[in-house]
Amino acid sequence: MLRLNNISKRLGEFSLSGISIRISAGEYYVLLGRSGSGKTQLLELIAGLNDPDSGEIWIDNENVTAKKIQERNVGLVFQDYAIFPNMTVFGNIAYSLHCRKYSKTIINREVKRIAEELNITHLLNRFTYNLSGGELQRVALARTLITSPKLLLLDEPMASVDASLKDDIKRTFRQLNKKGLTIVHVTHDFREAVSLASRVGVIHNGRIIQEGSPEGVFRRPVNKFVARYAGIRNFFRVSFSNDKDTWKARCDGNLVFRLPEDRYPAKGLLIVRSDAIKIHNSEPDPGNDNRYKGIVKEITPSENGMEVIVDAGELFYVDVSSDEFKMLNIREMSDVWISFAPESGIALQGNV
Amino acid sequence: MVRNNPFNWIFLILSSLVLLFILAPLAGMFLDTTSVEFMETVKDRDVQESIWLTLWVSFAATFLFALGAIPLAWLLARKQFPFKNIVQGIIDLPVVLPHTAAGIAILGFISRDGALGKAADTLGLTLINNPAGIALAMAFVSIPFLINSARDGFAAVPERLEKAALTLGASRSRVFFTISMPLAWRSIVTGFIMMFARGMSEFGAVVIVAYHPMIAPVLIYERFSSFGLKSARPASVLFIIVALAVFILLRFISLRKKETYLTPDAQAQ
Repeated sequence: MLRLNNISKRLGEFSLSGISIRISAGEYYVLLGRSGSGKTQLLELIAGLNDPDSGEIWIDNENVTAKKIQERNVGLVFQDYAIFPNMTVFGNIAYSLHCRKYSKTIINREVKRIAEELNITHLLNRFTYNLSGGELQRVALARTLITSPKLLLLDEPMASVDASLKDDIKRTFRQLNKKGLTIVHVTHDFREAVSLASRVGVIHNGRIIQEGSPEGVFRRPVNKFVARYAGIRNFFRVSFSNDKDTWKARCDGNLVFRLPEDRYPAKGLLIVRSDAIKIHNSEPDPGNDNRYKGIVKEITPSENGMEVIVDAGELFYVDVSSDEFKMLNIREMSDVWISFAPESGIALQGNV
Repeated sequence: MVRNNPFNWIFLILSSLVLLFILAPLAGMFLDTTSVEFMETVKDRDVQESIWLTLWVSFAATFLFALGAIPLAWLLARKQFPFKNIVQGIIDLPVVLPHTAAGIAILGFISRDGALGKAADTLGLTLINNPAGIALAMAFVSIPFLINSARDGFAAVPERLEKAALTLGASRSRVFFTISMPLAWRSIVTGFIMMFARGMSEFGAVVIVAYHPMIAPVLIYERFSSFGLKSARPASVLFIIVALAVFILLRFISLRKKETYLTPDAQAQ
């Protein structure tokens, strides 16, 4: 549906380089990156607001690299919605239809239809300066969807919306995608990627550094940057060694992890997801797991319960659900045991 | 309103002195003009004609030159091009030139030996001592006010609004007329009024290009040099009253529009 072939673009000090992405029809593709990573610039290239220095953009088997913005049939919803303040909500939504010189009857009918679909009929006659973030977003979405775009580009669509409205908006995006609309959604928040994407691309310093299913990207991040994005906080600088057919990773602080059979570099990083580590009040059954004794340094509430920081020679960040936390009955300075399966360790090469 | 501390008092006194400096001579002129003198001047046909000429020529000059000044202002606000700073400097040049020197330059340009003068001559038109010449002189000294104000207005319109309009299928010209112009409207109108007012009050450049037909500032000068202060004063008072009335009326009519709220451009991602 959308194919970017080796796109490069220099923008002052910053450049997008060698970006190639293929997105199939009906896919929900989330482009994840920090601010300044080039994700908005990439959206603007796809929409046609800028031209790439090199590379090609294909939409529906047609090379649109040199095509005008108006002929690409791509809808772009801007981060702060870019609602026209000199027009009413109706004027904003009808804008594209006026550009296409539709009759008044058709404009009225279409605006009404899309406004009903997005629950903003009551706002049609209002000016936009005192609308809430959520309302503005629906207006922006209606204004874009009324053009029946082949491809919908969303630039940080949740950035200016109250947390309470995010679920509603996600539901709207999911529904649009279910109806067959291909969506490219740019965000800095990995949770949006997890909850919406059928595929994720991570962009950093103008390059796509990892692409795949959300599970694939967040379970097997290719480097520390992606791992941080996936919410992983346990990073250990290690040297890998093979001792009697068992792979081990030794931390600078001498803690040793057992690892599954695989190929490892001499030195690198080992990461462990916080939810892959278990806490025990007493020494767990000996098994294949890595086990360490430690002291609880800090307990802080987290999204899913509690985050417990355990010092076991190295600091471990452990996610504990509220129920589990109650059962464990631990407090700061308690002695605890932690364990995790060798398979939970993800090795990253070199000083990444 | 003003707290009782020396800093505020000193600033208040200094500010009042400046306001007094502006208002005192005007008030003096108004007070020194008797109602009989004033009414005679109101009925004076020469005065009426000169004020009317001043108003319509300045308005026409502003209107015609706005057709080029507004696109230029947009280019300066939106586009990067070589020697942009030099272009900006050229635009500000009339503000710093002595206006009589500007008049001499215009005269050279529109006299029969000048480029524009020759062209007009072939059409049987003489620009010297003609409202068209007056309009050129007025526009020359006042056009920076419109260009600079409109440029600031366009620059304050978030570029992403124009981008959004483009993605919705609008042509560049449609974006200009439906987004950029309406959102920069206040600044354009302010610049328009400033250019009109500045053109209307011009004396130095106009008097060199056209002593006749007489615009109001030239007429006031002529009355002063021929008959003295007493004769020039009522004409001055009348011209000031008319100019103020037109100025207030224009501002009222054009700025009645609802306030438009612009949010600054989002930081480049």
